Amino acid sequence: MADTTVKTIAEVEFGGELPTFAPDTSIEATRRFGKHVGWNTPRFTDHEGARKEGLPGAIVPGVMSQGFLGAMIHRWAPDAEIVAIDTVFRAPVQVDHPHTITGVVTDIDEDEGTVEIDITITNEAGENRVFGTATAKLPT
Amino acid sequence: MILDLHTHSIKSDDGRAKVQNYCQWIRTRNVPIDGFVLTEHRQFDFESDYGELAERHDLVILKGSEVETEYGHVLVFGVTEPLYDAFDFTSIGLPLEAVIEHCDAHGALAVPCHPGRPRVGMSAHLAEHGVPEGVRIVEIYNGGSRGGEDAVAAKMAEELGYLGIGGSDSHIVSHIGRCATEFPDPVTTEAELVQALKAGRFEAIPRQH
Repeated sequence: MADTTVKTIAEVEFGGELPTFAPDTSIEATRRFGKHVGWNTPRFTDHEGARKEGLPGAIVPGVMSQGFLGAMIHRWAPDAEIVAIDTVFRAPVQVDHPHTITGVVTDIDEDEGTVEIDITITNEAGENRVFGTATAKLPT
Repeated sequence: MILDLHTHSIKSDDGRAKVQNYCQWIRTRNVPIDGFVLTEHRQFDFESDYGELAERHDLVILKGSEVETEYGHVLVFGVTEPLYDAFDFTSIGLPLEAVIEHCDAHGALAVPCHPGRPRVGMSAHLAEHGVPEGVRIVEIYNGGSRGGEDAVAAKMAEELGYLGIGGSDSHIVSHIGRCATEFPDPVTTEAELVQALKAGRFEAIPRQH
């Protein structure tokens, strides 16, 4: 696993792993997020309220998960421009459950200066809750 | 030889992997498979020719399909143009027994996949529809399984006397080869794949990474 950052596309290798990222999925974090974006719905901010909606507990908003994914990419490549994050939500990311965010480079287009990254959010059981790809443009 | 029997590329609506990147990933990361079957959702990809790509990477690349029935999702191996014309691959409510009959009539094979999964797996529908006629093989190891889904699939297969295959159900490059199926004999064509499966000469491999 890489501990370093990259500055240019020439430093990127196919199959290279981005530094793993442990997102803050606490109820306090989703409450802060909900307050700032105006989403104070119980499904994101209150376990009991979420259960009443048929969920297993409060869940992390999808756009917040995408923010985590973007943060991982920028920790790895601070000068990168994220062109796209394309996610498939297979199962909820549960609040107050530890998750791990991983990324790995699966395509490099040196002509365009872009890399494609497989991105996943995995829970403690190793289940992929969210997966997808991101495209980032790096300086040449 | 070892094949991942359940993969998706960008041809599927929720697939994000380019086939050339699957090949590059397998070789760069030494994924222990010899090839894979592209089983795109609700379609069969007649137009793509992966022969040159397969040769360049010394991999077997075969094509199948994943269709949708009242018992959930079903892999179809050995698709031909006459079979494709026999029923509507794009339908999300195909009758499983009819799919099996058409497959049998055209030398193909239907294999219910992720059967332990709620809603889209076969076991979830047995109480309502009963045990379908004609199923011989199901997918018992699926790379996208959560919780006890594979255990439910394996238990169902044991109780109903089905054989089991494995496939990653990969939709992104780095998930290919997570589960697979090992064959004692070479399998290099769709016809050989169907033959090997019908002969029961294979063994499912659970998740490796």
